[in-house]
Amino acid sequence: MAPNRFGKRGRDPGPSATVYRDRTTWAIDAQLASLASSGDDSAFTTLVTRFHPAVFRWALMFASDPDEAEDITQEVFVRTYRQLDQYRSDGPLDAWLYRMTRRAATQMRRTRKRRGRLALSPAAQPLRNVYTTDPGGRVDRERAASLIRELFATLPRRQREIFDLVDLQGFSPVEAAERTGMKPVSVRANLFKARKAIRESLLATHPAYRELSR
Amino acid sequence: MTCEECLSELATGSLRELPSDSAVMQHCATCPDCSRLTTLLRDREYEAATVLNNLPPMSNPIAVAEASVLTAHRRRVGGVVVMLSGAALVVTIWFTAATLIFPAMRGNGPMSTLLTETIPLSCLSPQQAADIVDPYLRTHGSLYFIPTSGISALTVRGTAAQLRKSKDLIREFETDPGAACRNPTAGLRAAAKMDADLRQGAPVLAGPPSEKVPTAPKKH
Repeated sequence: MAPNRFGKRGRDPGPSATVYRDRTTWAIDAQLASLASSGDDSAFTTLVTRFHPAVFRWALMFASDPDEAEDITQEVFVRTYRQLDQYRSDGPLDAWLYRMTRRAATQMRRTRKRRGRLALSPAAQPLRNVYTTDPGGRVDRERAASLIRELFATLPRRQREIFDLVDLQGFSPVEAAERTGMKPVSVRANLFKARKAIRESLLATHPAYRELSR
Repeated sequence: MTCEECLSELATGSLRELPSDSAVMQHCATCPDCSRLTTLLRDREYEAATVLNNLPPMSNPIAVAEASVLTAHRRRVGGVVVMLSGAALVVTIWFTAATLIFPAMRGNGPMSTLLTETIPLSCLSPQQAADIVDPYLRTHGSLYFIPTSGISALTVRGTAAQLRKSKDLIREFETDPGAACRNPTAGLRAAAKMDADLRQGAPVLAGPPSEKVPTAPKKH
């Protein structure tokens, strides 16, 4: 199990909020990646099983709903299978996968924009509700989708990503900078703006807010 | 700390890094408005983190892995097909260019325009000139016209290269000083000599002819 990144408040982020910091785990993952890239499909299945929740969690941040996150997750693993030989074991595999998730999400968003008109046609609507067999799962996913809309709808993509990495997943600004390829200063600036935008509506309920906003 | 300062801190600060002995928390202990707001903000962030971090993917990882392998193979095959199609397209374009477009640009291809030109004749008859150029005017729809009114000229229709070749050939024969048309008796004498040789049983081609038979000048 991954170390708890919400340790200060005792929050358990669950299995999806990964990952590791020690080099032993890096080495194990690098070995797994090496086996998978040499054509060992069982090693690839192990790798997918290990990182599936984490990639889905990262994809949630870029997606507009959990269904889109599932599509991004699938796309990430397709790319992983094809490009695993490009992974150099000098860095953690989860950071490499995170960058791949970012790229896949960006590309899928562009593709979806292009195909937006097609999606509106009646023929493109799903024939059945896939969640009818799991009402609990449906509720959770609807809740997550509304939360994503509520929290992130107005935020630019970069602020949204940084807020999620630091405040929701518990990475430090330096770690977030390493993952996103940004400078720590930029991470802090984006985090500052994101927090301000997200908390503004609640802050407005304080009686002294008007005086402050003047 | 005042409420304004507390709000300013809450607007951009990390809610997870608020120790109980911090100025914000100490102010919250005395201010119900700020305390309520801080709790609200922290609960909201906590709820968001809980919902998003604990939402499991619906798909089975093994199915995802299998689908990934299949899709990756399919894309690899698709990539090869696209690459081969591209190579075939390049070869087709190159072949078309090499056989049709470039020759046409050089002016001797099938797509080049046909030109018509009349070559005046001073020595050869139009029929003789036509016999000379005929083998060179068999392609690209080339033609020659022999005037029916007795004018000593030959009209040739062909590509620029064919016209050039025709004119060169006719000029060579026309400028040859030993050509039959410049020495009308030479041809007759040669024919008579050949006839006599045949009667005497001598080989026709043995020995040098007594008179020069008109031939095309040798090219050097």
